Amino acid sequence: MATTEEVKKRKRLSPVLRRLLILKLWLVERFRLKERQATLIWATFIGFCGAIVSEGFRKASEVLHYLGTGTTGGLIEGFRHLPLWQRLAVPTVGSLLAGLTLWIGNRLIASVRQKSTTDYMEAIVVGNGLISIRASVVKVVSALFSISSGASIGSEGPLVQLSSLFASLVGRFRNLPVPQRRHLVACGAAAGIASAYNAPIAGAFFVAEIVLGTVVVESLGPLILASVIATFTTRAMHGEGALYRSPDLDLHSRWELIPMLLIGLVLGFLAPVYMRLLRSVELLFTKLEIPVPFKLGIGGVVVGTIAIFYPEVCGNGKGLLESLFHQNWFWDEILLLLVVKLAATAVTFGSGAVGGVFTPTLFTGAALGTLYGQAVLYFAPDLRADPNMYGLVGMGAFLAATTGAPLMAILMVFELTLSYSIVPFLMVACVLAYYGNSIFEKRFLYGESLERKGAAFFNQQLAEISILDLIRRDPLTLPKNATFAEIAQTFVQHRFQHVYVVDKEKRLLGAVSLHDVKSFLDRPELQTVVIAADIMNENFPRVSPLQGLGEALRTFSGVQAERLPVVDNLTSQRLIGSISKTDLIIHLAGDQGALKTALSGAS
Amino acid sequence: MIESKAVDYLRKAEFIKNIEAVSDIQAIDAMLAALGRRSEVTDAAELRRAVIERQKMDPPLLPGGTAIPHARTDSVRSVVMAIATSPSPIMFGEIPVRLMFLIGVPNAAAGEYLQITSFLARNLRGGHLVDRLVNAENIQDFVAAFAGS
Repeated sequence: MATTEEVKKRKRLSPVLRRLLILKLWLVERFRLKERQATLIWATFIGFCGAIVSEGFRKASEVLHYLGTGTTGGLIEGFRHLPLWQRLAVPTVGSLLAGLTLWIGNRLIASVRQKSTTDYMEAIVVGNGLISIRASVVKVVSALFSISSGASIGSEGPLVQLSSLFASLVGRFRNLPVPQRRHLVACGAAAGIASAYNAPIAGAFFVAEIVLGTVVVESLGPLILASVIATFTTRAMHGEGALYRSPDLDLHSRWELIPMLLIGLVLGFLAPVYMRLLRSVELLFTKLEIPVPFKLGIGGVVVGTIAIFYPEVCGNGKGLLESLFHQNWFWDEILLLLVVKLAATAVTFGSGAVGGVFTPTLFTGAALGTLYGQAVLYFAPDLRADPNMYGLVGMGAFLAATTGAPLMAILMVFELTLSYSIVPFLMVACVLAYYGNSIFEKRFLYGESLERKGAAFFNQQLAEISILDLIRRDPLTLPKNATFAEIAQTFVQHRFQHVYVVDKEKRLLGAVSLHDVKSFLDRPELQTVVIAADIMNENFPRVSPLQGLGEALRTFSGVQAERLPVVDNLTSQRLIGSISKTDLIIHLAGDQGALKTALSGAS
Repeated sequence: MIESKAVDYLRKAEFIKNIEAVSDIQAIDAMLAALGRRSEVTDAAELRRAVIERQKMDPPLLPGGTAIPHARTDSVRSVVMAIATSPSPIMFGEIPVRLMFLIGVPNAAAGEYLQITSFLARNLRGGHLVDRLVNAENIQDFVAAFAGS
């Protein structure tokens, strides 16, 4: 049997163990991960995995392209070797399959109530950082069919989608709070862009400038980390090097500064035409009341028909850009290719094919810039203008104008070409193009889609819950004959802007506003002369549970009040509670956790 | 600022010297009849109903024998006031009253209502001013007595 001394000894920690525990506590205290540091670690992981999933998509696309055409190598090269009938058949069948995937997939998904979005921008900006796995798979598979069969659309869309989905899954499985989940999805998007274009800085700035609308360090840090890691991972698989490396270019005459500066304005004025073309064709397709597979099929037929004569239109335009910068094209060839490529892109995009228009936009800008450069060379031969230089600057200027993100455009073109000599001209052109476009067009390529999705999300959030879900019961009330002393005491004791006045049956008679009485709260002479009925606003706005949150929001917009009284119905007017503007905004922001805390704190 | 605005309302008020009434309702009706001529009153019957209803709730009375029957109602376009004096007290409930201010305030003018009421209540707390006001011959004397207080 152990003695008391022995028991005491056993309970005591050995000096070594005690020191180890102290060390552990010290380490935990010093190196405990805060949210920001944890986000950086997750950003690194997401950058790596984003590049891997993007590479997986590229490989899958190549395999599918081989299965469909029996050719390897670039899309354009593959199509050049195809017999004419196959140039038509491959995009047509591919687009039909892409449409069929969307059609079947969306029907299957529609039967499941989604709490997440399908779009990474929506998930970051207005959503809860959750991206639907099912819907993303449907989109990616559809994009695989489109892209591998030569549709004139960018692959950056599905690459970013996949990378963002992965980031969203990390947030979901780690059960991270909404703001951190959104931030991680933004990191995924940056990683997708960076791995698609081998452009780490532009990848981060694309998301910061276009999606987040801010370049503050707090949000930019993790984006940069994810972008850089994704780029390094992609380079490890594909090797280093800029996509469109360009030799150092410079002006041959100081007078050339004039056309070089003007190119920004010219392309800025042309950008609205490009965006309106895309929008018009999209609108045309939405008016077609036919199933989705046929819509995409029509897009495929048009691209296939053009490809019979000009196989260069197939794909996102990456091959065309390479050829534009490394071969000497005549102006009429460029113009012709520009027209057919624009037609193919507008039809593919308008038909609803999944993908992006980033690379097609780069090509359009580069082609317009090169044409401009050739015009300068023709009309002012003494300037000895290099059309290639104008092509590169034009690419950036057009990108800045259409995306509304001049900073990203400058960085993107610099990283794509690694030509520092063009940067000063590029900077001026991008800024001028941005302002040139803004004169005619208030919407940008990505902003427009985000605006639409934001509105849809907003309406969905409003429809999702009713006034009863946000109600705070037992609001502060006063009888109509409450003296001014009682009113003053209520306002002093509670931090409310309005106190509701009710009768014996709890019917709402009106509200006394602090704004009306605050100058008189210290007037003792009023205490017995004035009662609540004298100063209440009988027409104070009110809502009932029979109305929607949209109605409540409209009512809030017409009154300066933090809370609105809720009556059982607008006829009997019995007061059952109040709803707060803050709770409504928290709900609209999609932060259910914060909302629950706010409502439980109130009860 | 507030004071001058309130005095302004006094100047524009209908003034009844030595009102002929033996009860609070009669006094109120006499003042309402004087106000009925004013273009600011769009519905005299509604104004009466609102004033009587407010009286039933909790008649606003000041120590020293002053009654302030009033109503916030949209039957007046802007603030209207009638002043009545009575050498012999009229019973408002159980309180003898010699000085009466009937005020009609539009619903949207809660602030103005509080300004006027506060002004009257602060100045009429003592009985000596009431004596001087009751003896005023016309509205000019009345306002002068107020100004001298």
